Amino acid sequence: MIRLLLRSIQRQIRDSRTLFALSVFGVALGVASVVAIQTLNRGAMQAFNGSVQAISGQAELSVVGNVPSFAENLLVPVLGDPDVIAAWPLCRVDAAVQGRPGLLLDVVGTDILAPMRLPLESDAGPSATWTPLEVLRRPDWIALTPAMAAEQEWAVGDTITVSSGSRTARLVLGALVDFQRFEPLAPEALAVMDIAGAQTFLARKGQIHQIDIQIRDGADPLLVAARLDSMLGPGVRVLTPEQRGQDAAGLLGAFRLNLTALSMISVFVGLFLVLTTVQATLARRRREYGVLRCLGAPPATMFWLVLAEAAGLGLLGVLIGLPLGYGVALRNLDTVSATLTNIYILEGIDRLALTPDVILLAAAVGILGAMAGAAYPAWEMARRETLRLLAPANLHQDAGRQAGRLSAGAAILALLVTAWFAAAGAHTRWGGFVYGGLMLIALPLVVPLMVRQVGRLARPDRLGFRLSLRNLTARLQTTSFAVAALAVTVSMLVGITLLVGSFRATLVTWLDVTIQADIYVTTESWVRAGSEAFLDADLLTELRAVPGILAVEEQRRMRVRTADGAHQIWLNGITVADLPGAELANRLPLLPGQPTDVADRLERGQVLIGEPLARKAGLAADDTLRLAGVHGIAVLVVAGIAYDYTSEGGTAFVTMPFLEHHMGQGPINNAALFLAAGPTAQKVTDGLRQRYQERPLIFRSNRDLRREVLAIFDQTFAVTRTLQSLALLTAVCGVSLTLLVQSRQRAGELALMRTLGATRHQVFRMFLGEGAAMGGLGLIMGLAGGIGLAALLILVVNRQWFGWTIQPTWPALALLRQAAIVMTATLLAAAVPAFKAGLSGPEQLTRDDL
Amino acid sequence: MGRTLLCGLFFAVLAIGFTSRPSAGATEEAANGEPQWRQAAPGYVWEFPRDLHAHPDYKTEWWYITGHLQTQDEDAASLGFQLTFFRIGIQPTPADTSGSNWSTSNLVMAHAALTDSASGKHLFSEVIWRTNSLLGGFGAPGDSVLAWCQAPPGTADRWTLNHVDGSYHLQVRDDEQQLAFDLICEPTRQPVFHGEGGFSPKSADGRTGSLYFSQPRMQVSGTALQNGQMKPVRGQSWLDREIFTSTLGEGQKGWDWLSLQLGDGRELMIYRLLAADGTADFALGTLVERGGNSTSLPSDQWILTPDDHWTSPETGARYPVSWRLQVPSANLDLVLEAVMPDQENVSPRTGIHYWEGAVRALDRQSGQPAGRGFVEMTGYGEGSRPPV
Repeated sequence: MIRLLLRSIQRQIRDSRTLFALSVFGVALGVASVVAIQTLNRGAMQAFNGSVQAISGQAELSVVGNVPSFAENLLVPVLGDPDVIAAWPLCRVDAAVQGRPGLLLDVVGTDILAPMRLPLESDAGPSATWTPLEVLRRPDWIALTPAMAAEQEWAVGDTITVSSGSRTARLVLGALVDFQRFEPLAPEALAVMDIAGAQTFLARKGQIHQIDIQIRDGADPLLVAARLDSMLGPGVRVLTPEQRGQDAAGLLGAFRLNLTALSMISVFVGLFLVLTTVQATLARRRREYGVLRCLGAPPATMFWLVLAEAAGLGLLGVLIGLPLGYGVALRNLDTVSATLTNIYILEGIDRLALTPDVILLAAAVGILGAMAGAAYPAWEMARRETLRLLAPANLHQDAGRQAGRLSAGAAILALLVTAWFAAAGAHTRWGGFVYGGLMLIALPLVVPLMVRQVGRLARPDRLGFRLSLRNLTARLQTTSFAVAALAVTVSMLVGITLLVGSFRATLVTWLDVTIQADIYVTTESWVRAGSEAFLDADLLTELRAVPGILAVEEQRRMRVRTADGAHQIWLNGITVADLPGAELANRLPLLPGQPTDVADRLERGQVLIGEPLARKAGLAADDTLRLAGVHGIAVLVVAGIAYDYTSEGGTAFVTMPFLEHHMGQGPINNAALFLAAGPTAQKVTDGLRQRYQERPLIFRSNRDLRREVLAIFDQTFAVTRTLQSLALLTAVCGVSLTLLVQSRQRAGELALMRTLGATRHQVFRMFLGEGAAMGGLGLIMGLAGGIGLAALLILVVNRQWFGWTIQPTWPALALLRQAAIVMTATLLAAAVPAFKAGLSGPEQLTRDDL
Repeated sequence: MGRTLLCGLFFAVLAIGFTSRPSAGATEEAANGEPQWRQAAPGYVWEFPRDLHAHPDYKTEWWYITGHLQTQDEDAASLGFQLTFFRIGIQPTPADTSGSNWSTSNLVMAHAALTDSASGKHLFSEVIWRTNSLLGGFGAPGDSVLAWCQAPPGTADRWTLNHVDGSYHLQVRDDEQQLAFDLICEPTRQPVFHGEGGFSPKSADGRTGSLYFSQPRMQVSGTALQNGQMKPVRGQSWLDREIFTSTLGEGQKGWDWLSLQLGDGRELMIYRLLAADGTADFALGTLVERGGNSTSLPSDQWILTPDDHWTSPETGARYPVSWRLQVPSANLDLVLEAVMPDQENVSPRTGIHYWEGAVRALDRQSGQPAGRGFVEMTGYGEGSRPPV
């Protein structure tokens, strides 16, 4: 059996290299999509876990605050717990490096005397100065990873100027700290300082961000955590490393799921390719199978023989798809990393690894997917009578009859799925994905009928496009699959394009309402440090005194948890400029509600929450939002709900005094400046940039800020464009494959046409026309499917998973551009088989053909 | 990291007092005009209680209390105890703490040990922190606190050394080690100053040394943990107070030090710095008469000869555990015996080890008890030489 299988595969490769290569390529593209996305997904988590492991790898527990920092004196009761054998404080600073745009260091300030595992000893060379006394004497001492030092061409002894918030510090590279020796996935950007230097630099006297704890052998971490939790009071939590990982995984859940869903569409499209290939192979080799059956091979053996061939094809696809997917992941590394940093304030990814579980997943997707694609044609062949296999039958003779049945099946499936969705699915978190997935399965089932009906309308009178259209009907069994693959792909393209276009338009409208100040002031490190990047009070005083600045609004932002731990949200404290026209009520993009009433209630200590938080936490106006604060649970009445696109995790706004009341006092993070009429914002911005060029401040005019927000938005969706391209490439491979198959199957027909006087050019055009017809039909069906998919994504999936309201819009230009790309790609894919078909001559005519 | 980092710290402290020359670093600092540590020098004017407290302008100092205790139901002392607070100077100028409480100029290290010769147990515990309001520090003149530190992790307590109404109050607890004592040590005589006016030279040329005085005989009362119970105890103890800046010489590997409280009312302290081959590089002693007068004992006036040895199963270091001590000018010919061989202190964090233990003194002629004392030996075994 195995020998037979190998011989059969060999023959298949020899007889139809292009066909085989295309189908392998199709599987490879599907696998590549999955590999790319899963590698990036894992990279995101690995970056977080790598950081946790590198810093807290030997700690069984960590104390973290409800707000980012907490009082350092909690270290003393932690040290006193009977099961604690070591504990040390950590002060984390995200520092921007001056002169290296975009480079941020994740500085860990720790007690250099603590028994924390710091691989400081080697690699720094004899000039390294890191004896503990030296470190304690030098608050400017910092250790960087060897990779970072090498990348930036820094050596021990070099001075590095860094900033946190509006503060700068000149630090001296005192040693290298090779975290990767213990934790291969440790981020390169990690750096170590003594806690004294870190606190001073961060202006965080008395405050720390974490306490890492080692407990004695045999002690139960959960019991110790519970004991410490109750002892340390309501302002902090005691977590295991796994619980911290789950926190990060929760933050990224929606982001990862959406990418995974998109990559699965590529796999789905790849299945059609396999199906077409196997079908074509079986049609050509039906006599061979007939003979085998005559020689006593049972149908089951034949079935498994075909599936085994498909598995071999899938394996080849996996072997190609793995490096290809990894390459795609590497290519998208920067944009995904930037998204993680910008949107989720998590560690960026600086390294990817092709892990065994991704390899296994890829193998499963590729091999099982290929077998699934081959299952139907294999079953068709296996159940066929031996005589019919031996007869010169046409593969397409049953297709016409089945088209009606398949469409009926699709209609029933769509009805059932819609009924389920309306009754129950819409209320479940996964409902939208299930509904979309099943509808995408239903869509291809309608394709044969659609192709047949359109083909019937065509009345061919010469070798033109009408004949091409009619030919699709005549070869329904193969052409349907190519059109179906294309339709599914176009559905995805259109669906995503409509979603992104609508989202972008909504965002622009929202920015118009919310961004009203003339200049926004932030710091270089804010992009990563968030709430821990401060603006010094003296700077704000200076800004207020700058001529032309009428008012300075302040914003303080911190990540907090709801009391039940279910949601991590950004809590913002704001002071509002007392200027005519800048009243808060005019700047609240409220879901239904009275802006003046909401503004009054905010002043009385209530909270305005963003739409994502309202949806995810099930909150409405007048409900209470319970947050874990520094004094325990802060209970806030919801004044209203606002449209909010700043964070999928959820956002809430209170006035500054109430933020300080619930979460403690602290410096502010950002400021917004309102200018007097006269000089343009750009002119004042330029003046401020000039004045503060030595400080790590970023001044953005209103226009700059809008532009940058939209740039981040576009960057966030960059990876989806890659996935779209992979799916489109797979689909047009299907068109090419189908026409190649047909050029072989129709060799006799083409020879007859040539004998009757058709020119090569005419045959070429006829095939090209068939490609165009497939493209056109796929486009029409895909457009319909895409609109449905977009509606689902915008109205259901986005609201359920992200909580955002998106106003549907029609990005006509983008859609037209996409249609042109699809048609061009299809025609290019059809050109090669059309050229091959054009080469056939009258001498290829046989008696059988006549 | 911890092990390597702290090795240096620990022996930086233990070794600094026994030195042969100023460090090269200090000379360079002086040339650069950087703030430098004050050097211990002859002519120091002692003042109390000021000099009981810390001297941050010197690099290192310690409060070293050792003693013998007996419970109420015992006829003789069966417990030996040690409590040492070290101040390790990081820099001679006060740290700027405006940005962080963790900015510091000093470390506090404390060692505590309890030897129960009846059960054969020797317990040791250590802590090392930087000084700050959370973890440890030193009092200033006017405070009753001389030194304090947070207990080792796992124990919700502090270790303290207070000076109240002329007595020293010691509190130590380590729940994991089952080591605890709470003692009051009351001096029975005036402080004894070693060397000339309390400057104790550490080299033959006398250029370096320490400021050094002792409270050689203090009555002790309080409680100590024995067999899981805090029991009332009484006994006698010795306090060494030493302040210095210089470091151990290159040719030296460690030292021997001993204190004896003799049955005839006299006290004796001797030390010798060991050269790499184990011979004495420099040695000196002090004999305190019954009335409190003290005289220096140069190395040619006494002979200390090791006899039996004990090899530590934990570190492999081979220590003498009995000696013959001859001081002809004081009419002393004694046999010193460790109350038990295993009184080695091994740092669980650094692996650094030294022997610090209670000894009994017997008259060599009669074999009768002649007193009690403590012996300290450093630099024994592989890798235990101070790396400074």
